[in-house]
Amino acid sequence: MNLTAHAPILAIAVPLLGAFALPLWAKLHRSLRGGWLVLVAGATAALTALVAVQVYTVGVQVYTLGAAWPRDTLTPGGFPIRIVLTVDALSAFMGLITALVAMVGFAYAWRYLAEDEGKTLALTLGTLLWAGMLGMAFTGDLFNLFVFLEVTSIAACGLVGYRTWASRGPEAAFKTMVMYTVGGLFVLLAVALLYGEYGALNLAYLARQITGSLIDRIALALLLGGLLMKAGAVPLHMWAPDAYGEAPAQAVILLVANTQISLYALFRVLFTLYGGVADPGVGWLVVALGTLTLLVAALMAVVQLDLGRLVAFGAVSQIGYMLLGVGVGLTAVAARPAYGLVAIQGGIFHMLNDAVAIGLLFLAVGAVEKASGHRNLAHLGGLGHDLRWTTGFFLLGALALAGIPPLNGFASKLMIYQSSFLLSPILSALAILASILLLAVFVKAFQGAFLGPRLTAAEPVPVPMLVAMGVLALGVLALGLFPELVVRHLVAPAADALWTGRDLYLQAVLGR
Amino acid sequence: MTLLTGHGFWNPLLWLAAVGGVTLLALAVWSRGRRDYTRGTDGELPFLSGEKMEGAHVGGGHLYWGFVEGLRPYVERLRALHSGLVNDYVAWWVVILAVVFLIVLVGS
Repeated sequence: MNLTAHAPILAIAVPLLGAFALPLWAKLHRSLRGGWLVLVAGATAALTALVAVQVYTVGVQVYTLGAAWPRDTLTPGGFPIRIVLTVDALSAFMGLITALVAMVGFAYAWRYLAEDEGKTLALTLGTLLWAGMLGMAFTGDLFNLFVFLEVTSIAACGLVGYRTWASRGPEAAFKTMVMYTVGGLFVLLAVALLYGEYGALNLAYLARQITGSLIDRIALALLLGGLLMKAGAVPLHMWAPDAYGEAPAQAVILLVANTQISLYALFRVLFTLYGGVADPGVGWLVVALGTLTLLVAALMAVVQLDLGRLVAFGAVSQIGYMLLGVGVGLTAVAARPAYGLVAIQGGIFHMLNDAVAIGLLFLAVGAVEKASGHRNLAHLGGLGHDLRWTTGFFLLGALALAGIPPLNGFASKLMIYQSSFLLSPILSALAILASILLLAVFVKAFQGAFLGPRLTAAEPVPVPMLVAMGVLALGVLALGLFPELVVRHLVAPAADALWTGRDLYLQAVLGR
Repeated sequence: MTLLTGHGFWNPLLWLAAVGGVTLLALAVWSRGRRDYTRGTDGELPFLSGEKMEGAHVGGGHLYWGFVEGLRPYVERLRALHSGLVNDYVAWWVVILAVVFLIVLVGS
């Protein structure tokens, strides 16, 4: 078997099947479950990396299910009827983010989750969520985008609400489920409209057929409605602080990656599916929602006293920066000024920076809760005396997220500030204001929880949790100190996939 | 190593070198300060509104109090919107969908 050719489907199939087998191994023995998870997670990460290497060195990768040869995307009649995976640089970039987050999350969960707190269930749902995210990133088919969207929704809701002994977990899961279900139905309706009009579900084929008719535009509005909610854009974000606040820490970083994958799907729809009929008005809508998101979430974070919800609003705020960056690019995609590409690069780079920095913060909050039994800033104080490493990790993540140089959040935010300034100086000013608010928020959280006299007794944080946080902390430093290398080798090709790569994506599937 | 940011550039290593230079300058200024300072005196206690309080902690709820008070008119409105009721969440969705449909259908 040619592993390279089959890597895209194996990267999805391995965690999908691995997740269902996980509880069976757990029934036999815990150590078998652990070994199986290491095997599945390692294989999935390796396959994702293999796909990414292929994409970054060779070009767009396609995989046709059921065909004699994976690259046979078309039937003899020239129609892409089979399920096709299409992986370009942006898809591969998102796949790498999910791999990083999942591996760190599983390492953290090893000692964070107790056996009698549904550990097997949490690991199973986490693996399933990873499979769904990879499916969304790699699929080249609109219906399968919906299918994987639902896979991620089910797994995410399970992760938010499985702790039924915690009073608010199931409630948060219910709210998230209502939003995800309605959003999923919007996406399904859009898929049905496009299928009814063109008789096809393949993204590349549809992208070539779409002319901007009334049905096309209704479908676009429905897709926007569903995906903006899943990405957590204000005012459709309200489920996110509830979910992030109640889910266990190792699950929250997967949920953050899940919102980013929904952003990816939104960008794929806007730039690839509707790229030929792109409307500047839609770009301005994305810019407006991005600005609203970063400001409203930062303001809400200021008044939070629960450390988990405080960081959750910080996470929602970061989604605003990504929307702003890519939205600025979308307004400029027809005229193609240089700042449009920089804006998209900034937005995409911020996805990686956010996954690392906000992931570090959520894991630090989980460590605080596990060590002290509290998350409320009214009860916390002086944790820095006992939790030295966790204190350092929290500070690093907080400064990175507030955009303090030379940490990683600064570089991507600078790209977004400068490019949005050229579209409108007001946008840039508001984005900087939100960063200042976030700095105030995190100074308050850090002072309240970690500095001052010892108010709360704290147990030592287990080493695997510290190692998981350490990996993300190294990521914050490395991405911050060497941003040019990351942008040149990883981010720029992913941004080009949106900016100029539409034709290459279509040609990879349709062949002409 | 220099990242072009559209309108300028960013080089973290140059920035670190500059910070190192400023730190050395600050240390040089500091080293010329008074040498008769004694540790363990009242000067080391936290200054909390002029009161002498040992072991006091400015909790998270108190920090940036004035800042939050200044923003309160905006924040209270935002808080009211975050009611925690899923009905309200869906209601906002209806509003946003109407805006999206307006922009996508009429705006074009």
